[in-house]
Amino acid sequence: MRKIISLLVLSVAIAGVSCNRSASRNTKKLTIAVIPKGTSHEFWKSIHAGSIKAARELSSAAMEVDVIWKGPLREDDREQQIQVVEGFTAQNVNGIVLAPLDDRALARPVEEAKTAGVPTVIIDSALQSNAIVSFVATDNRKGGMLAADRLGQLLEGKGKVILLRYAEGSASTQEREDGFLQEMKQKYPDVQLISTDQYAGATRDTAKRASENLLNRFGEDVQGIFCPNESTTAGMLSALQDSGKAGKVMFVGFDSSQMFIDAMRAKQLHGIVVQNPFNMGYLGVRTMFDSLQGKPVEKRIDTGVTMITLDNLDGAEMQALLHPPLDQYLK
Amino acid sequence: MVAETKSNWTLSGAHTARLWLNRLAPLLGLLLVIAIFAILIGSPERYLSLKNLRTVLSQTVIVAIGAIGMTIVIISGGIDLSVGSAIALTGVISALAINAGWPVTEALAAGILVGGIVGLANGLAITRLKVVPFIATLGMLGVARGIAKGIAGSQTVNIPDTWANDLLLTVPKHDWMLVAPGVWIAAALALLAAVILRRTVFGRRVFALGSNEAAARACGIATDRLKLYIYSLAGLLFGLAGVMQMSRLRQGDPTVAAGLELDIIAAVVIGGGSLSGGEGTILGSMIGALIMAFLRNGCQQVGWPNYIQEIIIGALIVIAVALDRWRSSRTAVG
Repeated sequence: MRKIISLLVLSVAIAGVSCNRSASRNTKKLTIAVIPKGTSHEFWKSIHAGSIKAARELSSAAMEVDVIWKGPLREDDREQQIQVVEGFTAQNVNGIVLAPLDDRALARPVEEAKTAGVPTVIIDSALQSNAIVSFVATDNRKGGMLAADRLGQLLEGKGKVILLRYAEGSASTQEREDGFLQEMKQKYPDVQLISTDQYAGATRDTAKRASENLLNRFGEDVQGIFCPNESTTAGMLSALQDSGKAGKVMFVGFDSSQMFIDAMRAKQLHGIVVQNPFNMGYLGVRTMFDSLQGKPVEKRIDTGVTMITLDNLDGAEMQALLHPPLDQYLK
Repeated sequence: MVAETKSNWTLSGAHTARLWLNRLAPLLGLLLVIAIFAILIGSPERYLSLKNLRTVLSQTVIVAIGAIGMTIVIISGGIDLSVGSAIALTGVISALAINAGWPVTEALAAGILVGGIVGLANGLAITRLKVVPFIATLGMLGVARGIAKGIAGSQTVNIPDTWANDLLLTVPKHDWMLVAPGVWIAAALALLAAVILRRTVFGRRVFALGSNEAAARACGIATDRLKLYIYSLAGLLFGLAGVMQMSRLRQGDPTVAAGLELDIIAAVVIGGGSLSGGEGTILGSMIGALIMAFLRNGCQQVGWPNYIQEIIIGALIVIAVALDRWRSSRTAVG
């Protein structure tokens, strides 16, 4: 028994040494918890870096702003994300910035946090609740409209176009698709939409199969294609490359990856719409801060979408979007 | 059995004391975890505030109810890997039933019942098809998860606002309840299960089955039928855990609780259960579940990243079992 006790004392001592971060706090401290959907993906790292940038800018001699970054223990697990929100509520942080994994499941913990005096700013995906301070995210409809404009210009206002949808029930891509269709019909009435009802499914693999089927059927006629997210764009791109049609069809995609940049330089992809996760993290924390300071904040804040093409690809602004300064903020 | 009872009577005072110390070991572990984090966080009053305790207890309920069923299965010398999938399936069933216009009570009962059916199927595979529990329930892990996704159309099933959503509110609707209704339900079930295991013929037979199946059969216990009861009973409890999960999410989610079986088995093992059967207590398993919940909550409040949490819980499982081995070897010698 004595051995056990000495072991335990030792472990407490070790733990105590490894945790001396809660020292000296003579300045006022504001703690904001930022909760992503997962932590390993590049997208979330950009949000993390942006939130740290905001915290550094907002910290002053009189007030220290501290960002705690914590995702669900198992990525994409709603129950785990709920536990993280509840944990921060019990911990009495000053505010929470949350990218909810589900627009319904996270409503209860957010409402309970509000009752307990902890306000929440929602980023990335919507939450069905009135208990939030603000919703800071990409304007997906605008992203779809940008794509329609680009494709309309490339085709000079006429031609046959395919829209390959992402998956049933995904709100963000649905908005992109709606925005694309609306803008195309309004501004380019002579463009003929020959297929707009096919869904690609969740993965690159299913997207590639759906693309191959579409190209088999419409390959001779099609002049323009739009895909509303990363996996559909990647699936369509490799289907085009396999069938030798890459470069012969005007192709606009969504989101970025190295594969897309290479394809753009090879003139197989003629534009990608990109979001700005770095700005999302930055504005999420800033909005929370403003609200905590008693300033009025907008209920809906757009974090920006941008069309990247071969012409502007190498500009400093676009390079910053494609490669956010992660190292500068994440050690 | 007779010999064991006799030796119990002849235990000396020192023996009794040591026996109690062994029983209390998990509790000491829990107090230690709480104490360490209270110190690390630097403000014990916040860590031990009613608000935080309510949160941790609500978060423990699903693992705790699952661990009650798992304890019985593990004492009997079996294992059930399908619990996470069963939780997802029963949550989806209850959600669909509520959406189909069933009265809430009946919808929840349907979920629990389906859990029982999953358990019964496990039991039948083990006794009739002679498949070892590990494999039979590993198969069910896939089957139940697949059925859950299938009937839910691979999407979450949102439910309207009913009293079912209030079962695990961290702050209960009525102040006199102190903690969420689900916490009281779990506590009552734990008490009931502990009494059944300790004081009834059924309970003694479960221990006998896990200690030595051949001997149990030789003593006239219908072991196959007993296994059917055990897995069905555990299944009903997993069904209730699924209902609780649905209540927390306010939806039936066919992808939820993947990997939860490991948390539940860990709770039983940390609480002194032996995977070779014949050993384990409900109280120990409940404490095991609480230890993990307090660890998780504490790590978050200290500000440690997730990977440290995973390392600590992993190490804790091995340490708990090693300590248990060491204690029992000393008890055997002394």
